[in-house]
Amino acid sequence: MRITLITFAILFASISIVSAQGIGSGGTIQDDGRLAASTKQLNQFFRRFNAEESPDGNTRYYPGDSLYHNLALRKGFVQILFDNQTGSISPDLKNQFTQSLLSDSYPQYINFHREGWYSEVQAEFMFKGKREKATLILKIQPEGLGYEWVIDAVSFPPFKNLFNKPVGDEKDFLHPLSHELGFMNLRRAFQDSKMPESFTNSTFHPDYLTIFLYEMKQGNLKFLTVNDVKFHFFQVEGWYFEVSQFNRPGFNTGWLISNLVKLNPGDKKAIEKYIYDQK
Amino acid sequence: MKNKLILFLGLFLASSVVALAQSDDISPARKQAIDSLALEKVKDLSKYIAIIGSKETQFSEANRVMDRAEELFAPGAEMGVSSINSNEIAYYKVRRYFERLMALNYDRVNITWYDIQYISDLERQPDGRYVGVITIFQRFEGTSIETGMNYKDTTKKDITIYVEKKQTQIAGRTIEFWDVMLGDVRVTETSA
Repeated sequence: MRITLITFAILFASISIVSAQGIGSGGTIQDDGRLAASTKQLNQFFRRFNAEESPDGNTRYYPGDSLYHNLALRKGFVQILFDNQTGSISPDLKNQFTQSLLSDSYPQYINFHREGWYSEVQAEFMFKGKREKATLILKIQPEGLGYEWVIDAVSFPPFKNLFNKPVGDEKDFLHPLSHELGFMNLRRAFQDSKMPESFTNSTFHPDYLTIFLYEMKQGNLKFLTVNDVKFHFFQVEGWYFEVSQFNRPGFNTGWLISNLVKLNPGDKKAIEKYIYDQK
Repeated sequence: MKNKLILFLGLFLASSVVALAQSDDISPARKQAIDSLALEKVKDLSKYIAIIGSKETQFSEANRVMDRAEELFAPGAEMGVSSINSNEIAYYKVRRYFERLMALNYDRVNITWYDIQYISDLERQPDGRYVGVITIFQRFEGTSIETGMNYKDTTKKDITIYVEKKQTQIAGRTIEFWDVMLGDVRVTETSA
């Protein structure tokens, strides 16, 4: 593994020597290999993860090209796709993950258009005169002639305690013969009660995204800015990993794996519940 | 005369668009040609930014260059700028971004580019146009003689490109070509 890493480091450092096509011909600065090594776009993360481009990123490999999905190239790429500076993923776990990716009989790849990955966006909004953070979950979906990112869910702290359905003796109810009175006691639910959610069915689950959009349409919620973006992948069978952006000096920068979990039965649901943060 | 016009138009199209196409799919060879064209546009933008940012550029000339630079962009394109200290994004319309660049209070401004860039795959969006992102790195140096202040930063610029198949009529013949426009640009200060 160490030899592969050293080979890649030397390769990136040497890219600065052979790199020719700078943006401006006159005043260009030669990269010392750090920018070449950086995983500059999530697109590059996909290509490196699958071994679909050359080490310098200048040549795209397509099916039929000799180095497309090449095992040795991929092995080198996968090593540099981890956050190796601040991450706490054990070398053993990385090794197990790499082995399952590079398996001879069943190599696994990630795919931009396939389900099983999504984005988590931290954004700020002005809500009723106060600055508030929101977490948006976005997914890629086919639409029209191509694809689009769509908002799948939102987690917004001001909505957190909006619906607190009481349980047991605390919970108010409409008695089972309410129908005989033409539901005149609905007054209890809609007028007297401060928790009308008490009167909903047991599977009731508030749709926070709808409320979020409603507040936006009412003019109560205004977008301010995006603070952070990361990606969650469940595309590799038996594994979950998170990809975050690392903007720091050195060679281990850009979009890198910041979290890795080997999934046991039921883990996927628990992780998704945590990411979606829906009560 | 007519022949000369056709020749001129032909040369013009050859320099600003990519090879004719019958299919809406983008083959690897065509992708490469589109990448080259998109990089040309990004290079033009880089040159314009350097001219606009230079204190030696006259006001009228800077305005003329801003017009040219604006023409590279699709309508409504924005620059989203963030710094190392704050990950909050400040949004500017392209023209406003150039005006701010021109108004920087430095006596000497030096804008250079790293010899590295990255071009994404092209993805098709719902309206049939293709979209891609080119990443480049810029080094900015500004010096104020009076205060002796010297400001330096390196920014990563992720530039959206829109690729669209268009048609034009030349001497009664319909010619199809792929055109590239620049879109939103994300500017991130880096630790490089």
